[in-house]
Amino acid sequence: MAGLTNGKQGSGGQAGKAAALARLLHEESLRLLELYREKESLPLQPVEGDRMVSSPPFTSQLSAADKLCFLHAALTKCVHLLDRAIGREDTEFGNDKQGEYTKLRQTVKDRLRHLLQSTERLLVEQKGSAACSTEADVKEETDGLFSGGTFNLKMWIHRVLQEVVHWSDTASQTLHSLPADRGKDQKRMSRTGRRSKRSVRK
Amino acid sequence: MLRSLLGAVLLALRFGLCFCGSELAGPRSVAVQRDLARQTLQLTWESDSSVFDIEILHTELEDMVFNATVTVPADSSRGQHQWNWTSAVPLECTSHSVRLRAREDNRLSQWSPKQTLPGMDLPDQTQSKMFPQDRVVPVGSTLSFCCIVGEGKEFGSIHFKSQKMEVVRLSRRSYATTVTLHGPSGPTGDNVVCFSGPLLITGAVVFVGYPPGDEGLECETSDLTSAECHWSKGRDTKLRLKSALTSYTLNGRFCADASGRNAKNPLQCKWEHWQRNWTLVAQNPLGSVRLTDSADVNERVRPVAPWNLTAPVVKAWNASVEWNWAVAAYKTLPMICQVQLTGDGHTITRNVTGVGLAQAVLRDLRPDEAYGVKVRCAALNHFWKWGSWSSSHTLHTQMDRPETPDVWIWMKNERTAWVLWKPLSGRDSHGALLGYDVSVSDEGVKGWKTLSLPQHVQNTSVTLGNTTASITVSVTARNLIGSSPPARVVGPEYRADSDDAASELIGRGGGFDLAWAESGNASLGYVLEWFSTGCEADCHVEWLKIPEGETSAKVQSDSLNAGVRYTLSVYAVSEESSVLQHRSHGYTQEMTPAQPVRGLAANQLGSDVQLTWDPAAMVTHRGFLRGYTVYLSNASHLDLIANVTDSQATGYTVQALPVGSYKFVVKSYTSAGEGVGSTVAIKLDLDADMLVIEILISLAVMTFLIIFITIVCYKKRKWVMKAFYPNIPAPKVPGDWPTHQGTLDVKPSPPSMLQIVESPDWDSSKDGLVVIPEEDSDEAEGYGDQPVDGDSDEPPLLRYYNHVMDDPHPPDSSGSSTNSISSTQTDVTYTGVQTSSSSSCGADAAQPDIQLVAGGYRPQMQPCVVPDADPEPAPPGGFAGYKPQCSWRQDSPEEQSLSGSLGSPTSVTSSQFLLPDASEEEEQQQSNTWFHNFLSGKS
Repeated sequence: MAGLTNGKQGSGGQAGKAAALARLLHEESLRLLELYREKESLPLQPVEGDRMVSSPPFTSQLSAADKLCFLHAALTKCVHLLDRAIGREDTEFGNDKQGEYTKLRQTVKDRLRHLLQSTERLLVEQKGSAACSTEADVKEETDGLFSGGTFNLKMWIHRVLQEVVHWSDTASQTLHSLPADRGKDQKRMSRTGRRSKRSVRK
Repeated sequence: MLRSLLGAVLLALRFGLCFCGSELAGPRSVAVQRDLARQTLQLTWESDSSVFDIEILHTELEDMVFNATVTVPADSSRGQHQWNWTSAVPLECTSHSVRLRAREDNRLSQWSPKQTLPGMDLPDQTQSKMFPQDRVVPVGSTLSFCCIVGEGKEFGSIHFKSQKMEVVRLSRRSYATTVTLHGPSGPTGDNVVCFSGPLLITGAVVFVGYPPGDEGLECETSDLTSAECHWSKGRDTKLRLKSALTSYTLNGRFCADASGRNAKNPLQCKWEHWQRNWTLVAQNPLGSVRLTDSADVNERVRPVAPWNLTAPVVKAWNASVEWNWAVAAYKTLPMICQVQLTGDGHTITRNVTGVGLAQAVLRDLRPDEAYGVKVRCAALNHFWKWGSWSSSHTLHTQMDRPETPDVWIWMKNERTAWVLWKPLSGRDSHGALLGYDVSVSDEGVKGWKTLSLPQHVQNTSVTLGNTTASITVSVTARNLIGSSPPARVVGPEYRADSDDAASELIGRGGGFDLAWAESGNASLGYVLEWFSTGCEADCHVEWLKIPEGETSAKVQSDSLNAGVRYTLSVYAVSEESSVLQHRSHGYTQEMTPAQPVRGLAANQLGSDVQLTWDPAAMVTHRGFLRGYTVYLSNASHLDLIANVTDSQATGYTVQALPVGSYKFVVKSYTSAGEGVGSTVAIKLDLDADMLVIEILISLAVMTFLIIFITIVCYKKRKWVMKAFYPNIPAPKVPGDWPTHQGTLDVKPSPPSMLQIVESPDWDSSKDGLVVIPEEDSDEAEGYGDQPVDGDSDEPPLLRYYNHVMDDPHPPDSSGSSTNSISSTQTDVTYTGVQTSSSSSCGADAAQPDIQLVAGGYRPQMQPCVVPDADPEPAPPGGFAGYKPQCSWRQDSPEEQSLSGSLGSPTSVTSSQFLLPDASEEEEQQQSNTWFHNFLSGKS
């Protein structure tokens, strides 16, 4: 509903749609992770390991454009990781095309790409181009992928799915907050304009 | 010194050995290698001995895992000893130390220096690990896993497929568990995971499956040069891991077509040139299977599918088809080909042979028929397998003249014949029919008369010239090509009485089995005709032509229905005539009558009930009617009272029924059972005429009996008199008594006298009644001893009198009787005397002390006496004299009269006697007179 409401506000509508998309992706990726755990008989306990995709925290000091830059960079890495995870999984174990897990995995993959494109459009809207200076700050951790056995591969896939869950949630929250911030910026800009006019009169 | 010696002895005892002679040389150049995949330690050493003690232990905890004496001869070529040991747990789990010594008889060498193989749990390996990784094992295996927790972490647990396992500690950081793998693993293997507290720190995957189960290798060629080998996968290995998939080699060459996850079953592998012998090896980590096949190329030819199939020549009854081969080598190959024709819902396959076969002629096709044609071939001399079917080609045969129609003549009656023919099917019409030409020759009318009828008409009626004439019919069918050969039939003779000799026929299996006597006049065979009996219009007549010589047939038709009567006729057919051979009526299946009995009525005939009903229409019988059942309907059930087995019956009489209401149910029945019942009710009344007659008869009988008894009594009156009315002896009268009879004037005592009796101031000194002595002293004495009624304070007679006085209206006779003195005390006396005395004595007779005199005969001349006074004769004027008891009658108060009472034995308690009624008196007097006269023989 928030997305629809925001959609009435011009460019804020784009962010709302992207936020709704991210929220949907978050739900689907959560379900995908759950299916993977069931399939692999993995416990609900956390798996040892750090974040695979990391970025500076999205604090209030960061501008909306910076947040979008970091988010776009992180989602790009997630797409890359998910593609690799799916490819490795199918290569090693085959592919049950009729299974719920495989279908949902494809859905999440497509949705993640869609979210990335939506974020990219927002970024262009914000900055005039998709180029971000912060892109290099996001790290993708792939060490140890090929050194371990099948179990390590499974853990790596599990972590990739966890990353998708995490970054879809982050995207949802970040994109949801964007229209409000932008509105504040616009108000701040209009106030600044009025003051300058008054000072000119003075 | 002593201590040293003692120590040496103790050491010797400790080892249990003696050092006899020189010391045995120990193993030299001991080397240990390990095969991690097989979890095997390989020991090599040099020694002159062949028996060795070997010890293997987990280094860190010094747990002995192997300690045995083994015999290991030296390798003759290299002079080395080699011995392998397989560990239950992966060798990476912890460090292993090995040492050995030689043994020869009782001599032992020194232990070799320990050889230690470091495990992955050494401090420099800080990461958490689990072993073995990605092990592929067959179903049913037992496998040990160990978890090496990272430095600084605490071991928690090991789980296999979410199940917590029991563990054994191998070292400071290493823990092992053993699992038995009962079934195949999932597509991605089964996980064994290790926890440090709640945190998953490491794990391993095990793949459990089967070795390859491929079977049925067959190699063949389609071009007589190359080979294509096929086989089936057999049992699924259940291994989906890329590195565990089955790989195939054919004659030593890797077969990429069959290997891989997406290879389709049956698997196949191609080879450019035919080789006589073929060997396929299927292999996965759990094992391999070897399949072989051997054949000459000519024995394994499976031709490719023919192409470009055409039909260059198509006629009405045959066609030819041609095709091409893509393989030039087939030109010299003897082949057999199958041509499959599909038309009119049927599929026919015909085989043709030839060298390099590329065409076929198809005969016995049907005119005007569309056929789908396809061809496949195989090698003729060494048949291996049929090749693939060609694509289908459609051909349409040309039209031809129709077939001869099936014609019959049904004689509806003497003058009308129906010419019937069966419509030609598309198969027999050989093209679209235009119509039928019917030519009729009637003996009564000269010449042939021809009718042209459209193709949808299937019959036509012919009126005969005269009743004795026969009819001959010729029918042809026409289409665009021409007319069919004519079908000629001579009509049978119609006979109205032919049904009379018809037999009953019960069908079987929805049809009829018919048999008849052979006829010498059946040169064209027989025609079996049937139709629904009794049909009036639009009769559906069917027939079946039976060849000559056959005398039985089974009638089976979809139009035959159960419960319908059919007339079946067999005609012997010749060129000149059609003669009825046999006729019967039958049902394919009998059913219960369809309708209830109609017109059921009941009529009373005296005590009988006559039930009548109407005969049912034949169509409602639905079976051969066997009779009727008559039931008497009660409230809840029917009582069978008659089974009328005459199917023609229209009534039944139920006899001798009591008066009452009845309800009858009548049902008709066939062999299949009873139909619906009809009910009729009737109320039986009394027959008035019979009642009158019965009464009259009864009266007549009674009258006769009375007359008879009267006559008998009259004839035997003397005997009757003697038996029932004996003569009473004449009383002995003292003195001179007048003999004439007179009327006794009896006056009842006035009531005042009774009041006097009731007076309490009764003087006992006054006179009262006294016992009158009788002449018969004995009898008198007997009665004199009879005690007086002691139950009452007052004498009986007095009590009676009191009663009379109290009630001015005396009770009726019965009441009087019951209120009178007890019957046991009813004594007989001569009332006349008493009456006389009461009359004459008046109040003097009513004394309280009156003693009731016991009954007995007393002279009726007894005068009224008073106590203390001698009996004196009554004054002549007040006494009418003695009256003999010739008019004896029963003691009945109603019938008593004064005159009647006189001379009769009478109850002393009788009030009637005391208070006679004048009218009754007269009547009774008359009746007594009549009876008396009767008994006396007077008229």
